Formats: sequence, structure tokens, C-alpha cells
Amino acid sequence: MFIAPAVILLTLFSIIPIIIALVISFTDMDLVGLADYSNIRGVGFSNYIDIFKDPIFLKSMYNTLIYVVIGVPLVVMASMGVALLLNYGSGWLFKSFRVIYYMPSITNIVAVAVVWGYLYNGSYGLFNYILSWFGLPAQQWLQDPVLAKLSLILLAFWKSIGLNMIIFLAALQGIPRSYYEAAEIDGATGWKKLRYITVPLLGFATFFVTITTLIGWIQFFEEPLVMTKGGPLNATMSMALFIYNNGFQLSKFGYAASGSFVLFIIIIIVTLIQFAVKKKEVEY
Amino acid sequence: MKKKTGFTIASLLLSFSLVAAGCGNSDNSASGDSKTLKVWFMGTSDTVKPIAEMYEAKNPGIKVDVQAIPWDTAHDKLLTAVASKNGPDVVQMGTTWIPEFAAAGALKDMSPYIEQYPSMKADNFFDGAVQTTQYEGKTVAVPFYVETRAMFYRTDLLSGVGYPEGPKTWDELKDASKKLVEKGGAGHYALPIEGKDSIYPVIFAWQNGSEIIDENRQPQFNQPAYVETVNFLKSFYDEGLSPKGTDLDTVAAFKDGTMAMFISGPWMIQTVKEKAPEIDGKWAVTTLPAKVTNTSSIGGADLSIFNYSKNPDEAAKFIAFMAEQEAQLKYYETSNSMPALKAAWTNEALSDPMIAAFGKQLENSRPAPTVKEYEEIAQAAMAAFEQITIGGADTQTELDKLNDKANELLGNK
Repeated sequence: MFIAPAVILLTLFSIIPIIIALVISFTDMDLVGLADYSNIRGVGFSNYIDIFKDPIFLKSMYNTLIYVVIGVPLVVMASMGVALLLNYGSGWLFKSFRVIYYMPSITNIVAVAVVWGYLYNGSYGLFNYILSWFGLPAQQWLQDPVLAKLSLILLAFWKSIGLNMIIFLAALQGIPRSYYEAAEIDGATGWKKLRYITVPLLGFATFFVTITTLIGWIQFFEEPLVMTKGGPLNATMSMALFIYNNGFQLSKFGYAASGSFVLFIIIIIVTLIQFAVKKKEVEY
Repeated sequence: MKKKTGFTIASLLLSFSLVAAGCGNSDNSASGDSKTLKVWFMGTSDTVKPIAEMYEAKNPGIKVDVQAIPWDTAHDKLLTAVASKNGPDVVQMGTTWIPEFAAAGALKDMSPYIEQYPSMKADNFFDGAVQTTQYEGKTVAVPFYVETRAMFYRTDLLSGVGYPEGPKTWDELKDASKKLVEKGGAGHYALPIEGKDSIYPVIFAWQNGSEIIDENRQPQFNQPAYVETVNFLKSFYDEGLSPKGTDLDTVAAFKDGTMAMFISGPWMIQTVKEKAPEIDGKWAVTTLPAKVTNTSSIGGADLSIFNYSKNPDEAAKFIAFMAEQEAQLKYYETSNSMPALKAAWTNEALSDPMIAAFGKQLENSRPAPTVKEYEEIAQAAMAAFEQITIGGADTQTELDKLNDKANELLGNK
């Protein structure tokens, strides 16, 4: 009985919409269908068959894979590294650096895009200016298909490091001092303490950060939307952006719904794999 | 236990009231004989508020409730209105959205009202603007304001290469461009070729006598006239006359002379004046250079009655007022958007030579093809243009592919 509110809210706002989306994905719903439901026809699996024949969708899957493969390890390792460094001290310098690292996470993406757009600008951008000090040729950061992908990863990496760093910092401060003291008595060096105490005890935080980061990168959306609109030559098109374009730009709701289900299933599979791979929890 | 039940009921009520609020119909509280007319405008409300007040003053008993919707969220908002069948009475439509929303049956047939109100008659407006209000033989909107593309150029720099009036033909455009880049040296360009703007190659194709989608719904992308157009535009990249991958800031480049020309709409007049006052008097606007014609595109916005409106007659009366010269000129004053009403152009408010150049261009301009699949075809055409100019694909092969895709989208096979 006492879980009823939670169940009702979950059903109302999560499960029913998911079921509706699943139903829509088997129809040809578009704007005409939206205006008058009698125009909607069931099309069986043809949305799903078409979407796997759509070269832009396949490209967006490939791009998303690249984002995940490069982005996730980079974010997890860098945020853990930053957290370890910031955990060394508690002076004003360390505190202000926490703020500095956290700042990008709470900055509006549109504001970020404007600033980074200028950094990446081919004619006036800071990055090309820096390259020119070393006599290197100017790069088209957002216009070159390969470089554009990396440019977006760099931006998203910079933006997501702060939040994950906070999680690691919290976990680090939960490790009891007595373990280190005991290790020091046994003569353990700094590296050994890190290797055998800190990293294993961060296991749960690492697991959490990895899963959330992974899901975040599979749903990579805002950065390509505001920075490149998926271009050039669809090189930065992510799956989420593909779904958005089809649903809200082209009003192909059925097609977009089938795309979002493919995305949904991928996320579930990846999360299940994560849980399966995760080793037994480290006991304090 | 009792406590918990009470809590459950309270939260149940809460969740339902949330849902009810979400679906809530903010009905026109028709108290007495005063009616509220809901009007949706794209952009900022301070441009329309003064006109709405003029209307209220003339029609006591009517309250005009103007809601301004930013352009970039307007399409989503309209989709929601169609889905919930609950929207405004009068809606401003971007001209390119008309086919899509007309096909969905969201816009009322205007013809009975056009007979009733002479100010809505098609003859009053530019031809191109009237074409945007038609969908499959039905009139679903009334023109409101128009925009078109014309040529902005630096008079000083173009004089230096022998074209003080700006290039008049494609050949002159090419010749002027070559000379400008030669004279300027490294880092100089003639004009940007905007591949990411779907109407840009279309304008040149029309100038070359090409159709985009003909009256039998046949795409013309792989026909010689269109192919020649794409090759002409491509040559500007290949010969270094246009910057590839344009993140060059147009106004900045125009100011420092690294880009002597660009093609854009009337909104750029104010932008250039504000951002580059240093070059005042050194630039002008003229009509586009011609090949077969010097056709440009026409866009802007129309006014429609939303099909689910509860006050269609009042809505029509309001639209009739918006189509009159007084309202059109007021809107020009508050927003700089050019009136669709031809008669308004004789007013001295529009006598500025730069605006007049746009007025001249309007006489030879046409809207994007009015088929409801056009948005998706335009996306595909943009992608193909990018493949050719940046991806290095062969023009004819890529355009053959594009034509197949367009045929498929149009349901021709």
C-alpha cells in the first residue's frame, strides 16, 4: 500500500509513455496522423527495417560508438585523477579548484557553445592562434569530419568532468583513515596505498560513474545539436540527434519512435553487461 | 495504517491534479460580451503589442491576447497545439510550414473570409507571397510580411574591380569575384556560398531556369540546368573564391573587406549598420545577378486561422485588420519586417534605397516548392550539396542519387 504513490507516478509518467512510444513505433504516425488519429496506419516492423537501412542512422550508430569508446574511459580516468589530486589538500587553492572544475557542469550548454564556438573558429579562434605560435597550420575544428568529432568529445569531456569528480571526492572522503595508517605501519608506499586501498575502495563510485557516463554518452545530444547540427557530412550525428531530427524537424513520429526504441534497447543491454562484468563489491 | 492511507489518497489527488493541470484548458473565460482572441506570434511580443492595442481601441469588447513564441521553438509548440487540438485563434505561420500544417488540416480555409473582407484579396499582395498561402488549390492563409534575398556589396571594393553597381550577371559575378580575390590576396574571398542554407542553391537554380519540383511532383535535381548550377557554385569553392566550411563571421569579414559581397535578407541591413558603422556609405544593396532571370526566394510569414479555433469569425476580422496598410506599416516600424501589402511600399517609410532594392527584388521572387515533403527533400538536397562541395563526390552521380531519394519521398515509385 505504501508504495502506491511511487507506483502510480512511475506508471503515469514512465511506463505508459514508454508503451505509447512502443505502439507509435509500429505506425506511420506523422503530423497528419497527429491532427486526426484516423489517419494513422499500422506498418508492422517496416520502421525498424527501414531504420537499419538508413545510412544516416547507421552512421549515427557508428559515431555514437566512437563517442562512447573515446569519451567514457577519458571521463572516468580524468575525473578520478582530478579527484585524487584535489583530495591531497584542503587549503583555499584546492577549494577554489573544486569550484573551477565543477563550473562547466552547471553552465548552460548554449552559453558554452557560444564560447567554444569562438575557441574553435577557423579564422579568429584561440586554438588556431595557439597553433600559429608553433608555426602549425590552422585547423577547421568543426568543419573537418574527423576533427569535428574529436572537438565535440573534448567539449563534452570538459563539461562532464566536474560532476563525476564530485562523486569521486565524496567517495574518497568516505575511506577511513585507519586503513592508510595500518598500511603505513606495514611500510606501504604512496603508490601501493593507492593501488591496494584507494582504487579498490572507490569501486562502487567508479561503477556508478562508469554507468552514468556511459548512458550519458550513448545519449550524446546537446553538444552536436548546438555546435554542428550533426554535420559536416553527418560526421557528428549522434543517435539521439537523429531521433530528434526525424521527430521534431521532419514530424516522422513513428520512425523517430522506432529509433528511440533501438537506442533504449542498446542502453539496457549495455547496462546489463556492466552489472554482469562488475566484480563483487569490496567490503570495508 | 490510517495515516498511510491518508497519505496515499493525498498523493493520489496530487498526482491527478497535476495531470489535470497539465491537460488543463485555459479557456477563454467568456464573461459577458467581452471576447478574448488568442493570437500566437513568432518572435518578440513588443513588435505586435502596439498593433493589437490599435485593434482593441477600434473594436471595444474584444481583448487580443498576444503570445510571442521564439522562432526556434515555434515548430514544436505548433506540433503540440495540433496534437492537443487546443491552440490559438490566429496563428502566424512561417511560409515554409504552411504545406505541412495545411496537410494536417490545422489551418482553416480562408476563401469565404476573403470574399467578405476586401483587404485580404490576393491582388493586394506580392505574387510570391500569395503563392505561399496556397495548398493544393486551397487558400489557407493571408500574407503578412515578406522577406527575400538580395546582394549586399562593398561599393568601394567593387568599384576597384570595375563593378561600382555590383555584378549584374553570373559572368560578371564570377569575373568580379576573381578580380577581388586576386587583388586582396591571401585570406580574401568574394562571397560565401551558403551550402547549409537550403534555399541558397535553389535560388541559383531558379536563376538558371531550373525547376526544383515541377507541377507534376517530379524532382528536377539531375536535369542539366540544376547540375550546371551546382557546378557553378562548386567552382567558387574550387577556385578559392568562397571560404570552405564557413565559420567566417560574415559581418566582420564584410567590415574588414576580406569578403566584399554576400547574399542575405533585409534583417542584415540593421545588423551591418550596428556592427560595422565604420563602413557606412561604403556598402549598398542591389538585386541578385541574373543568368536567365534574377529570381530570388520569398519567405516571411502568413496569418492563418487555427482550425480548432472557437472564434473563427473574430479571428478573420483580426487578420483582415492586419492586412491593412496601417497595421502593415506599424509592423514594419516595430520589427523592420517588410510589408507583404504592395500598396504599403509607396509609403515614404520604405523609401530608403536599401529597402527599395529589396522591394525591387520582391517583384521577381518565388517561394520554395509547396509540397509537404519539401522539408525532408531540402535536407537531402543540402546533404548532397555538402557531399559534392566538401566530400568531393561527382556532381552528376550524387544528384542522380538525390533525385531518386526525392522521388521516393514524394511517393513517385
